[in-house]
Amino acid sequence: MYKKLEDYLKEIGHYLVVKEGRDEILSEIKSHILEKTAQEFGKVSEETLEKIIANYGNPKKVAGQYLEGEEIISPFFKKYLFLYTGILFVFHLGFTLLSFIFGWSIVIFPFFYIPRMENLWALCYLPMALVYDFGLVCLFFYLVTQAKIEIRLPWPKIKWRLPKAPEKKWIQPKIIFLVLMLAGFSIIVYAYLKYHTLFFMSLDFRNQAESLLNPEASRWYSLFLITIIACEIIVYGLRFFTQSEWIPLLKNAFYLVLVWIIMNNPIEDALIRLQSPDLEFVLYVVERAGIFIVVVFGIVAAIDFFQSLWRISRKHWRSR
Amino acid sequence: MKDEGIKFESEMNRGFLQVLVLVLLEKSMYGYMMLRHLEKLGYMVEENTLYPLLRRLEKRGLIESEWDVGQDRPKKYYVISKEGKTVQEELLKIWKEQNEILNKLMEANKNV
Repeated sequence: MYKKLEDYLKEIGHYLVVKEGRDEILSEIKSHILEKTAQEFGKVSEETLEKIIANYGNPKKVAGQYLEGEEIISPFFKKYLFLYTGILFVFHLGFTLLSFIFGWSIVIFPFFYIPRMENLWALCYLPMALVYDFGLVCLFFYLVTQAKIEIRLPWPKIKWRLPKAPEKKWIQPKIIFLVLMLAGFSIIVYAYLKYHTLFFMSLDFRNQAESLLNPEASRWYSLFLITIIACEIIVYGLRFFTQSEWIPLLKNAFYLVLVWIIMNNPIEDALIRLQSPDLEFVLYVVERAGIFIVVVFGIVAAIDFFQSLWRISRKHWRSR
Repeated sequence: MKDEGIKFESEMNRGFLQVLVLVLLEKSMYGYMMLRHLEKLGYMVEENTLYPLLRRLEKRGLIESEWDVGQDRPKKYYVISKEGKTVQEELLKIWKEQNEILNKLMEANKNV
């Protein structure tokens, strides 16, 4: 037997995913190559076969010609694939948030199992959930395609569109906004200096306003908030002088460091005021919601950071 | 522009080759024989286009096949089926009508 021919047929066979007649197709190709070689060269040898095989074409392409009508998923479903994955993921995301905030395990048999997760585990779970949803939608379309069922699937009309990665439009800063921001900031700093917190149980300032958090947490999280507001005002002020992309990049890098510090230094019994048996559930929800807000803030900062980085590198490469 | 031409040609050939094969297989033939025959007529077809087409036509019942293992190398012979003959006649009729339309249009263009 001729090794080159066998190897060639083996490779075609690897890509030839047909329901029936696979061996027959390979036999026919083999017969054709042998016949053509004999006719054109007068003898069949490894060398002469090699030339004919080279002309027959790339094994993947040859196999591909036989796969018409043998699609794994029908092209008709292409546009549904991502839309349905998106819709499913929205539900998955919603259930994950509920599970995270209320500390539930959610089971929708046999599709979802969302275990009760701690802090960042919930965040790590989401990309996995997206891949799972995509797989589930693919499986559905695979089964429909293979069963050759004629179905008309609903196509929800969604008004909004995802924004394209835009060129950043710089809005000219205005003095009035800067003044208002500074005024607001002064009030916040004054409140902090007077009450040593920005997280109040109630806004009854006639009496001594009580903090929701214990003293350490009050100081720590209030300073976190003040730092962010101060940063925003500085960045806004700097825009009077420069519109460099480096400023948001550095700002968001700083925010990411802040989030990292906050997440890595949890304060025990921060919500001390709510620690009574009656408020156990409220305590749990508030704590979770707090973590969720910090995590979302971190995600937004990360997205902004990478967008700035992308714009800077694009500008850099264009100028080269 | 040349690439565009090749693209259109391959689109046109797709349908034309089906008719051609159905006409050619009035007589029993195997793949390589068909290619050589068409080549002599000045029509070049790639083998990896012809064989998948033969398979599709066979799956649709328009042609039939049989392996001949009596020779030094086994060969798969194809011939048009009864159903294929009906389809072939219809296709030729359509092709003739289309040709007439095209000719009329070209004649009309000459007088513009």
